[in-house]
Amino acid sequence: MPEFKIQHVTRYTYDGAVRDSANQIILFPIVDIYQDVQKHDLHITGNPIVDTHVDYYGNEVGSFTYSVPHNQMIINSQLVVNTHHRPLPVDDIFPAQQWDNLAQLQYTVPYIDFLKHEYFDGLRELQVVVDAEKKEGDTPYQIALNFCQYVYKNFEYIKGVTTVESQLDEIWKLKAGVCQDFAHMLTEMLRLVNIPARYVSGYICPNQSGMRGEGATHAWAEAYIPNYGWLGLDPTNNCIANETHVRLAVGRNFLDCSPVKGVYKGSSGHHLQVAVSVGYQDHEPEPAIDQFVDRVTKPGPFAGNGNDASKNSYQRYMEMIQQQQQQQQ
Amino acid sequence: MLSRVAASFYWLSRYIERSDGILRMLKTNYASSQDAIQGFTWEPVIRIFSGSDQDLIDRLKNDSRTVINYMVTDKNNSNSVLSIITLSRENARGVQEHINTDLWQCLNEYYHIVKENSLVNKLKKDDPISALDILIKQVMLYYGTAEVTMERGPGRSFMNIGKYLERAIQAIDILDIKFGSINHNPDLLTDTTYWKHLLQSLGGYELYLKTYRDGLEAHNVLEQVILNNDFPRSVIYSVNNIQRYFDRLKLDSSMTDYQELSFFIGKLQSHIKYSSVKGIQNDGLHLYLTQLKDQLYQIGNLLNERYFANS
Amino acid sequence: MYKAAHFDGYHSIPGVWDEMYLQSSDIRAHYQKVIDYLSQESPDELGKKEELAQRLFMKQGITFTVYNSGEGIEKIFPFDIIPRIITGSEWDFVEKGIKQRLTALNLFLKDIYHNQFIIKDGIIPIDAIYSCPHFTREMYQVDVPYDIYVHIAGIDLIRDEEGTFYVLEDNLRTPSGVSYMLENREITKRLFPDLLPNCGVRSVTEYPNILYKNLQSLSPRRISNPTIVLLSPGIYNSAYFEHTTLARLMGVELVEGRDLVVNNQKVYMKTTTGLQQVDVIYRRVDDEYLDPLVFNPNSILGVAGIMGAYRKGNVAIVNAIGNGVADDKAIYIYVPDMIKYYLNEEPILKNVPTYRLNNPDEQKYVFDNINKMVVKKTNGSGGYGMLMGHAASQEEIDEYKLEILKQPRDFIAQPTISLSAAPCYIQGALRPRRIDLRPYALCGPDGIEIVPGGLTRVALKEGSLVVNSSQGGGSKDTWVLA
Repeated sequence: MPEFKIQHVTRYTYDGAVRDSANQIILFPIVDIYQDVQKHDLHITGNPIVDTHVDYYGNEVGSFTYSVPHNQMIINSQLVVNTHHRPLPVDDIFPAQQWDNLAQLQYTVPYIDFLKHEYFDGLRELQVVVDAEKKEGDTPYQIALNFCQYVYKNFEYIKGVTTVESQLDEIWKLKAGVCQDFAHMLTEMLRLVNIPARYVSGYICPNQSGMRGEGATHAWAEAYIPNYGWLGLDPTNNCIANETHVRLAVGRNFLDCSPVKGVYKGSSGHHLQVAVSVGYQDHEPEPAIDQFVDRVTKPGPFAGNGNDASKNSYQRYMEMIQQQQQQQQ
Repeated sequence: MLSRVAASFYWLSRYIERSDGILRMLKTNYASSQDAIQGFTWEPVIRIFSGSDQDLIDRLKNDSRTVINYMVTDKNNSNSVLSIITLSRENARGVQEHINTDLWQCLNEYYHIVKENSLVNKLKKDDPISALDILIKQVMLYYGTAEVTMERGPGRSFMNIGKYLERAIQAIDILDIKFGSINHNPDLLTDTTYWKHLLQSLGGYELYLKTYRDGLEAHNVLEQVILNNDFPRSVIYSVNNIQRYFDRLKLDSSMTDYQELSFFIGKLQSHIKYSSVKGIQNDGLHLYLTQLKDQLYQIGNLLNERYFANS
Repeated sequence: MYKAAHFDGYHSIPGVWDEMYLQSSDIRAHYQKVIDYLSQESPDELGKKEELAQRLFMKQGITFTVYNSGEGIEKIFPFDIIPRIITGSEWDFVEKGIKQRLTALNLFLKDIYHNQFIIKDGIIPIDAIYSCPHFTREMYQVDVPYDIYVHIAGIDLIRDEEGTFYVLEDNLRTPSGVSYMLENREITKRLFPDLLPNCGVRSVTEYPNILYKNLQSLSPRRISNPTIVLLSPGIYNSAYFEHTTLARLMGVELVEGRDLVVNNQKVYMKTTTGLQQVDVIYRRVDDEYLDPLVFNPNSILGVAGIMGAYRKGNVAIVNAIGNGVADDKAIYIYVPDMIKYYLNEEPILKNVPTYRLNNPDEQKYVFDNINKMVVKKTNGSGGYGMLMGHAASQEEIDEYKLEILKQPRDFIAQPTISLSAAPCYIQGALRPRRIDLRPYALCGPDGIEIVPGGLTRVALKEGSLVVNSSQGGGSKDTWVLA
């Protein structure tokens, strides 16, 4: 029964004082028979009240506001989590019956939400790949493993070539990305063959075995396997996501699970830093705050006085006019 | 009152006042350009209302018509009369349910006149002074309408604070640039037309003649424009009015905000009141004017922060 | 017949229901008094009245601004001076029908965001709901005051050649136009003195009072004077005039997104004296733009965190968030089934037959008969992005088909309905022009109320079937007789 001590620090630094910030965090690990939380300390600059609710996908979501002018905001989440190994699927039912089973789920909640694939320019090419990887007589489990391996082998793990907003087109063209992009691609492939697939955000705790995704939040996918349930697949490391993966949230895509997001008013620029460090059993984690890994992010969501730094005042003005004009019925 | 509404009142009024300043300045300087055979320069005017952008000054080539068109009808000039009246009208539109229809219509008409193509033609081909006069009359019409129709509430107070803040800043800018020019060209100090035009652009020439019998003297000009309580475009008159209208906001404020700003305005008012031309000249006029302007900006910033919720 | 010249040459359009004339060219009884009045007026006098109407609209600023390449042009929504008249019995039918429909639609919204019985029982295919971009998962299990989702509805009605009323579409998000219902009536009072009481026309002036009463009843804080605001996108919105009018008539503050701020799941407005808590928001900003934290992050019209305050029940939002799933044109098809399912009643108002273009059989039928079809976007409004099969060129049709094939779920088709016609005063004479009717229903804790009237929109171009203001449409005062 592994026990992990995880520290996850998010730090926003602003160029000038900002105010009226409203934020949403999905930093509360899922609790089920394979994962439980011993301790969770959450410290946020200004000690705001964090209000939580359970969202449509069953994730615990926190929201808080911080209205006084500030130059920095730190969200420090410290966790002690126990995970338990989950036995793998036995996969002894006839393939045809399993596919049949999936076909019946197609138009039921919640699976319908995890089957809708996205349209993108490379879809036709991907369809060819998917058809080739899917061997006659394979079970959904086998195919899910194949696809996971395909993504692992055919996409290069390079930090900084994509952003949190990268779409499938970009990933497909680059054939590269980070965990988020790998997970995105795998969910798309699984959905194309009618296997329900979810996006998962969380932490990877490999205990010095050199897996990718340490030091930051991690992402992977889950495939729905008949007679088993949701099976975690980590295409970034080509493995089953099991007791080394701590799940924070599930959803259709990154947007449903983004661990931290916020909107504020004030001067334009901000800098976001995220660090995750993990301690094992009796070892304390290295203080995460000293080892920020810079992530390439576009200036995030803004609101209020229209202060997106990438646009000039005239463009912002025209955008405001356009938005105002669009509202009508 | 909603912070945004208060801010709109303040800004719509500041823009109107600014347009008035630009128009009067253009009118006097155009007349002046007709008197001078050579040596007339638009540079101070451009610097007052568009900053010291040398490229721009070169581009306008010191040509009267080009300068006037740039300052009145150029869409790409964010400080042209057209641009600022557009902004003023938008601010008014956002507070339409708080102002009288007459006032709205008056502003709307001003806007439509500035936008008309015939105005551009007049400014280019006919007598520009007649065209400028049409616009100046619109401003006066606006002031009359506002005076008669505006409810005597906080909206009007914010309007007047905006108006007088803008007016004080303009008077200071004009003095600073006009007196600054003397440093490069000491002959101007004794050039009576130079001072006459300064006074005319502020509408203060006649008052000057009545007040001072010993001809046009720089220190008298300074006294009238900074310290004359009866000259409606003097700095002290404007600051007295800022104080007067701010005082009326007492009930529409949180106590701490009110006290802080009230103290600040009062301090500025006394600072000017107990100044003398001699003292100002001893300490350096430019420094004195810069300090006043900083404090006026500070009032604007405090209003923005405490009353307008940074809107 | 009548002596007045402006009646000459009025020919009812063959095969079209004329609101004024019977097929025999006799006047329908409910138009008689108006016709008597008009026939005493010379065309000149009517012309003057038309001018007066224009002037009154302009002067009172009842305008919308059209922005073209950054320049704003003030326009008035064209107004036709001849009223459209609805009899008491016709109105009773329409009123009953709308109340029934709205009751079912409210139950549907509550169901779809909670138990989803209607999906489980197979009445509406799950796919139709889950593929709707307005099905708002953030609303799942969120309780709204009194289970009312649609507080204000604008139901668009048309009449076919038999005079039968059909619902063309439901507008359950931010329906606009009600200010024109009110202003058109005020103008008519000026144009035709004493005619309204003589004809026994029912009043519409109660609308803002009913709306205000309903808004007040939604306040989460049980206080005597809750803060109610109208949230407008801002001065560039074409309905800005309406926003100011309604705010004025109800005596509520008109705010923009930047006037509001959320603090600890409560909404406040920023005033010169500090923050003031807001209890009820009548918003005219679309869902997508309402909260940049939860919906479109690029929105500069919304209020960050407002969804959280709404979820907690600390603020009431009118109309509710997520209503778009009920007025999606692909869901419209199922409204009669909803009425039967939730109310166990037969629908009073008919739907126009509607074909789904994501259904292969229906798509084929539509493509084969495209000349008799109107194709619309399921989420469109305002008459934008429509294809009128009978009037389109082959090229336009081919182009449109390509669009459909990309996202068939986003389109539906309806047979071209021959809208009814009413007399309009056009260049000195009365001429028949096609019309529709949008009554405004208000739903509060005490039930549904519909002021007797609405907005009659008219296609002023000869032969046109499109009444939208963006496509050359105008409006008429709408009389409901006692």
